[in-house]
Amino acid sequence: MNFDKIEYDKAGEVMYRYEHSSGLKAFMIPRKGYSKRYAAFATHYGSINNEFVIPGDTAPTAVPDGIAHFLEHKLFEQKDGSVMEKFSALGSNPNAYTSFNQTVYLFSCTDRFNENFDLLLNFVQNPFITQESVEKEKGIIGQEIMMYQDDPGWRAFFNLLGAFYSHFPIRIDIAGTIESISKIDRDTLYKCYNTFYHPSNMVILVVGEEEPQNVFSMIEAALQKKEAVPEIKRIFPDEPGTINKDYTEQALSVSIPIFQMGYRDNRRDKDGIELLMHEVAVKLLLDMIIGRSSELYNQLYSEGLLNSSFDTDFTIEKEYAFSVLGGESPNPVKVKERFCQAVEAAKSKGLDREAYERLLKSTTGRYMRQFNSVERIAHSFISVYFKGVNMFDYLQIYDKITFKYVEEIFKEHFDRANLAMSVVKPV
Amino acid sequence: MTNTIVAEKAVRISSLNGIEVFRINSVKFKTSSIHFFFQDNLTRESVTVNSLLPAVMRRGSRDYPTLGDISKQLENLYGASFDCGVTKKGERHIIQFYAEFLSKRYIPDGTDSFKASLDLLYDIITRPAFENGRFKGDYLEQEKDKLKILIESRVNDKMSYSVDRCLEETCKDEPYGIYDYGFVGDLPGISAEALTSHYKKVMETYPMQVYLAGDISDDDTKDVLDRLSGFKRGSILQLGNGFAKKQPDEPRYVTEPMNVTQGKLCIGFRTNTPPDSPDYNALMVYNGVLGGGIHSKLFQNVREKASLAYYSYSRLEKFKGLMVISSGIETQNKDKALEIILKQLEAIKNGEISDHELEATVKSMETGLKSLGDSQPSLVDFYLSQTVSGTNNNLADIGESIKKVTKDQIVRSAQNIKLDTVYFLTSQGVGSESRQEEKKQ
Repeated sequence: MNFDKIEYDKAGEVMYRYEHSSGLKAFMIPRKGYSKRYAAFATHYGSINNEFVIPGDTAPTAVPDGIAHFLEHKLFEQKDGSVMEKFSALGSNPNAYTSFNQTVYLFSCTDRFNENFDLLLNFVQNPFITQESVEKEKGIIGQEIMMYQDDPGWRAFFNLLGAFYSHFPIRIDIAGTIESISKIDRDTLYKCYNTFYHPSNMVILVVGEEEPQNVFSMIEAALQKKEAVPEIKRIFPDEPGTINKDYTEQALSVSIPIFQMGYRDNRRDKDGIELLMHEVAVKLLLDMIIGRSSELYNQLYSEGLLNSSFDTDFTIEKEYAFSVLGGESPNPVKVKERFCQAVEAAKSKGLDREAYERLLKSTTGRYMRQFNSVERIAHSFISVYFKGVNMFDYLQIYDKITFKYVEEIFKEHFDRANLAMSVVKPV
Repeated sequence: MTNTIVAEKAVRISSLNGIEVFRINSVKFKTSSIHFFFQDNLTRESVTVNSLLPAVMRRGSRDYPTLGDISKQLENLYGASFDCGVTKKGERHIIQFYAEFLSKRYIPDGTDSFKASLDLLYDIITRPAFENGRFKGDYLEQEKDKLKILIESRVNDKMSYSVDRCLEETCKDEPYGIYDYGFVGDLPGISAEALTSHYKKVMETYPMQVYLAGDISDDDTKDVLDRLSGFKRGSILQLGNGFAKKQPDEPRYVTEPMNVTQGKLCIGFRTNTPPDSPDYNALMVYNGVLGGGIHSKLFQNVREKASLAYYSYSRLEKFKGLMVISSGIETQNKDKALEIILKQLEAIKNGEISDHELEATVKSMETGLKSLGDSQPSLVDFYLSQTVSGTNNNLADIGESIKKVTKDQIVRSAQNIKLDTVYFLTSQGVGSESRQEEKKQ
């Protein structure tokens, strides 16, 4: 059996890589001295994939919103009961999550890695879904949906996505709605499973003190032989080039307005490395303009317009990208105005080169700190993997990125026409 | 495969004038950290001023007079972090300051990150940005506003709010019922003079713990000890932890109306088992069987069988002797959920504990104990908790004791558990016209 070893001296890290005959790729990142082992089995399939052409079909298939997440819940059900119980008999922690474009099954354990890993490899490949269990799950997921309806940060975020996009399915809650999940049945779940859970659309990652030889031979033994399939055609609705609306609000039981605002980013990068570079640039820019050391943040903080709940982020995939700046404020609209003024001022005066150098240094240090935690490593790795890159590619970005590139992204991203704000205000 | 827990140990390297210094050495992490704790008894009088103090202190120091200056220094140290705040453990109120930073051997430009971070942290703690010998008035007033917002904003997270409120109601007439961040009404009365004299009291009389974790050299340790030897101390405050035995005759029922989509049912219990008792291990296993994970009775019965909730768990408050059960449910399912939950407690009392439930609980607790050593903040918190419970356990001992817990011991723990307060956060009772439907876009 063949696998590669790749060394990243700068980070003091090593990664092992293996490719199975089915097209599935597997990775292993060792963690010396850690008790915890973490394994993830992920598919490139998430909440936005609600219309697609099944390989072999000609007509597209549309499925109810929230089905990827529903399938995530149901996969734990096996012929002989819930696989959760088998994990818990081993004392390990199984879990799963669904995001916009991936579904991830995972466990962490400290002992008996092989038995745990075998469970993971097997249950993800062997769905056993009955109509009865589908109906039962609707009650549980219904409560999950209702829980999020009371979460002001979550609501502000999805309302913002709805302001950015008129049709693109990222605007729909990952779990769907009570109404949309009522339409989910066993057959549709299997249709989605058979389309998206093909090994060539999946990845396996192990983090922890294990032997790569052992990890990869277990995968070799457990992976079912499946015929190669052509690429899945993912269908997305036509989305206008401009944002849906620039302001949206909702009333909830909160003590102070909670806001999220940001720019929808229409630049479409060609490959994974460009995506990462773009991400690092926008994150640096957000820190330069309104990060903790910026003049603007310090002014808004002193004036009582922002507090330490404020944070910024940037999300980018091949199909979509947007920045989010969010927090609590007695007057979110004023925060937006002051922010826009600072952006305009930076456009005429130019960006602060010293701040750029300092924040690049800080960014590299924060990247390194992720390696403290097996969960953080796994999460970072999986979240960039389906963009066609891996988390160690950030190292070359930090070397390659230039002030000039950041200036170019600044002009493009921070375009007032693409700025939207979402506010959750007190009832 | 090892069955004993080999985790990073906290070694006490000094104890003088009520200042204990611990070192937790480990080179597996990429970062190191420095933690300062100042402990007080949780009281109505000191809670608000204790929580305001670190908020004002983090605004600036002599060498780093503004928030922006502190942030720039952290960025220069390759994205180090610094924060401070308050927390409660039992009836102790603890003020915390910490810095976490990339360890020296990962710093590309050769900066001594330990020394630089200690300089910053020590400056913030010992040399606040004073003006005329006291805290700056503008920082004070701004932080009062921020603290007011923070206290009021606890309702925004319904899950944690409902659990906190349940325990506060359970301990309505005891100090534990006081919210960590204090009282909005007490803020206006705190002047710069009052805060400054409180600061001196904290520095001179609150018992202190200092933890140095990560890749720590002997020189680093010496540096800390040298600085602390210059710390001016007075007579050191005596502390309790507030543990109390209680046998309520009747449970209390508290309903809080709020505009929510989902109701939160939280139930507070008295465990009647002190944290330093040999029975505490059995109580931990009891809690695990009841609601400590997917194998537990609550998860299996409330979620999996009845489909009433997405989450249902139980959790111990070790120091005060409390247990809380929490679930998010449809408001009209309250009675049904309460009945199923209480049935699970009865079942354990009657000895209905399967081998699977017991084994899975013990194994999952072992996993938790072993995993603790993979996180510096968790390690520090574990050892700090020992100072509150007055115990001197290590992870391996706890792991061994848990494995020995029998079903009989669990049943005995169950007999001591007494229902105290049933708290329900619900939209029922809120005017129907104010119940807003989610905006459709």
